[in-house]
Amino acid sequence: MTAITIDGVARSFGEVRAVDGVSLVIRDGEFFTLLGPSGCGKTTLLRMVAGFCELDRGRILFGERRVDTVAPHRRNTGMVFQNYAVFPNLDVGGNVAYGLKARKLAREEIAGKAERALKLVRLDGFARRWPHQLSGGQLQRVAIARAVAIEPDVLLLDEPLSNLDAKLRVEMRGEIRALQRTLGITVIYVTHDQEEALAISDRIAVMRAGRVEQVDAPRVIYEAPANGFVAGFVGATNLLRGVVVRRDGEVADVLVGATTLRARLPRQMSLDRVALSLRPEALRLIADGDAPPPGWRVLSGTLEDVEYLGALTRFTVRLADGTPLSVMALTPPVASGEVAVAYDPARVVVLEDKA
Amino acid sequence: MTAVFARHGFPIAIGAIAAAFLGLFFLYPVLSVFGASVLDPTGTAFTWRNYAVVLSSPFFLQALGNSLVVAAAATALAILLGVPFAFCVARLAVAGKSALLALAALPLVLPSFVSAYALVLMFGRAGIVTGALRAVGLPFESIYGLKGIVVAYTLTLYPYVVLPAVAAFKSIDASVEEAAQNLGAPRGRTLRTVILPLALPSILAGGLLVFIEALENFGVPFVLAEDTPILAVEAFKLFVGETADNPASAGVLGVLLIACTVIALLAQRAALARRRYATMARRPAPLLAVSPSLRRLAGIYCWALVGAALVPFAAVVVISFLAFKGPVLQYAFSLGNFAELFQRSYRPLANTVMLSLAAAAGATLIGVPIGYVIVRRRSRLSALLDVVATAPFAVAGTVLGIGLILAYGRGYLILTGTALIMIVAYVVRKLPFSVRAASAILHQIDPSLEEASINLGVAPLPTFLRVTVPLMLGGIVGGSVLVFVTVASELSSTVVLYSGAWTTMTVAMFQALEGTSAGVAAAAATVLIIVTILPVALVYRLLRRYELSAL
Repeated sequence: MTAITIDGVARSFGEVRAVDGVSLVIRDGEFFTLLGPSGCGKTTLLRMVAGFCELDRGRILFGERRVDTVAPHRRNTGMVFQNYAVFPNLDVGGNVAYGLKARKLAREEIAGKAERALKLVRLDGFARRWPHQLSGGQLQRVAIARAVAIEPDVLLLDEPLSNLDAKLRVEMRGEIRALQRTLGITVIYVTHDQEEALAISDRIAVMRAGRVEQVDAPRVIYEAPANGFVAGFVGATNLLRGVVVRRDGEVADVLVGATTLRARLPRQMSLDRVALSLRPEALRLIADGDAPPPGWRVLSGTLEDVEYLGALTRFTVRLADGTPLSVMALTPPVASGEVAVAYDPARVVVLEDKA
Repeated sequence: MTAVFARHGFPIAIGAIAAAFLGLFFLYPVLSVFGASVLDPTGTAFTWRNYAVVLSSPFFLQALGNSLVVAAAATALAILLGVPFAFCVARLAVAGKSALLALAALPLVLPSFVSAYALVLMFGRAGIVTGALRAVGLPFESIYGLKGIVVAYTLTLYPYVVLPAVAAFKSIDASVEEAAQNLGAPRGRTLRTVILPLALPSILAGGLLVFIEALENFGVPFVLAEDTPILAVEAFKLFVGETADNPASAGVLGVLLIACTVIALLAQRAALARRRYATMARRPAPLLAVSPSLRRLAGIYCWALVGAALVPFAAVVVISFLAFKGPVLQYAFSLGNFAELFQRSYRPLANTVMLSLAAAAGATLIGVPIGYVIVRRRSRLSALLDVVATAPFAVAGTVLGIGLILAYGRGYLILTGTALIMIVAYVVRKLPFSVRAASAILHQIDPSLEEASINLGVAPLPTFLRVTVPLMLGGIVGGSVLVFVTVASELSSTVVLYSGAWTTMTVAMFQALEGTSAGVAAAAATVLIIVTILPVALVYRLLRRYELSAL
């Protein structure tokens, strides 16, 4: 159980900067997620912590101990691999005891710890089974039990759920989270699935092209994204570019195409060119004659498309100037033709427009 | 520097060992052959005259021409016969499929000159079949000469095409074929425009092996050529010539042989340069539904081909148990041939087993780490290692043997006449085999297994021994057995390098052929067949899993 400091680390493969100057501080006992599209460097960063990828520059510390110069087999990290990497030539018990034997513990101690680890992932009684007799979910549990059995300083999980089907994925992520709370262990979790990241993490680092774009709690990441990339990658959003045409304290009018939207503008932001992020579920279709909630503003447009998604319905509305807006609602589709879309200026996120 | 060594230490160490071994026992001997070819008769001054002499001699030009014609014809026939066979086995419900595949691979581990000798016993001047045909009044020209050599090569080498072609046909995903048909291509057109082109790289790779093997083989032309000159045989005759040995001309022929294989290799690379297909069937194509009569026809074809390739070996075994009166065959059961063979000496059999074991161990110990570095530590160094370790394929056994004698027959390190020089030659020749077997199996082992072990606290070298080696074991054993059996039936370098004390089974048979003891030769051939088939049968299940990928 250790805090982890990643300090200015970088690694290039040929011309590609896989990790390009990343600094992070992961707190003791924190469930920390590296989130990003494929090729963003999240797995490389995780492998740096495990010691399977060398650093061109920077340092990594577990607590006060510098580890990036330590051989991978002496780092005491427990890693769960994407494809589980369960040794096919050892049975379940042999897999879980593997790291304990490497630590030259007494036989009774190994047996005790292996049994406890298997119980922790609800595989007690499976010790004599062989990997080829297990399902994907069970292999996953073996991999986790094997990694936690050695009581690592940090548990590293590399897209551990990506090979499971959707339902099992949701179940397993809950179990992983519960396990982490039980053990109070520091976890670094790599995923490209934003929903998974939001559901499971204490904090998330969103990565792109080898750099960290934002580090925050899930709710902050979703509701106050630092930039357009984060807003677009975590959840769906309508990202509109515009120019500030009027400013009155915190309230500003922004011209997007030929439409003017009102938004709350952070004080420190002095730019004229901005991007607006409007979450589809923060927009509301207004039926004819209904009044919008107090303080909300209304845009008018044409309903172009309706997608029925079961629990939700997605509407695509085209504003008069041609800007498309995606709107999510619980209500089943009713409207057609000309519609009104209401939004709360307080929930419009204003971002720097980095062209 | 220490950091560089930590990252690259293992590959560098393996690379250094491989470089030292191949440098001493492969490159230096080959350079010695080249050196001999450009020295004047006094052995001191540089000259191109030897080339002029050889290339202006109609006899040697004919040898070169014959070698190329035979190799090309055998390659074409092996492809023509092997590809349909492979397609039938891969895609039709042919009867006895797994037996077919096993039997089809068999000629690769059997000594090819035994098959050639069987052809002589059956279709030679005094052959059984020749005699029978003459008796009923059918004229039959004997099998000797180019046509006989081509037949022997085709029957013994076609598996080189079949094995990769079967793998290729099976690795084409069903959806590819369905897409072609969905777009309106009828079956025949799909086969012509999609299936065959996708399998072509594997077919050509197999064809190249046939070509190189046919070019370098010594035993088959030695048995069947009679007065027809063939490059590999003439080089041998020049080198150990009864009148006067002529290393200069032998060197020229050796260099010509190497040049031919290198050109063939480059031609194949060029032909395949723009054809790289990632083929991993998620869903293998289903068996084709064809009419029962067509299916029966395919079955007959497949069994006929396998039968034709194996009948000569069976014939030799049968004949070895028949009595001979001088050179004349009597139709009566007898163990006399074996008695005569072993009366002479048991040493050849013991030597063959011992040398093959040593060569298998040596090739495995050097080849497996090389295979590991090539697959797991990709770098420019490992790419170079890959090329160098595969290069012995391109050098004929006779030529390597001549080179080793030129290099180690005098000077500081004298090895000629020892068992060591034979083992060294075998290890060099079979190294590509064990490297490929090792890299093929490693490709199937996920690297994260090794990382998992290291992550759990086991250092890299113990991890290699405790995780990687056990997982590779099947492939390593399979590769070692293949080295063992192919060394046991090796003749081309053996015939140059052996000394009296280290006579092998192949040499014993070779000597029996030179004399008139047909029965003893047949008995020696039978013993050889047993020595090669037995280990293969023992580990057959392992081989089935890995032999396809090892090729």
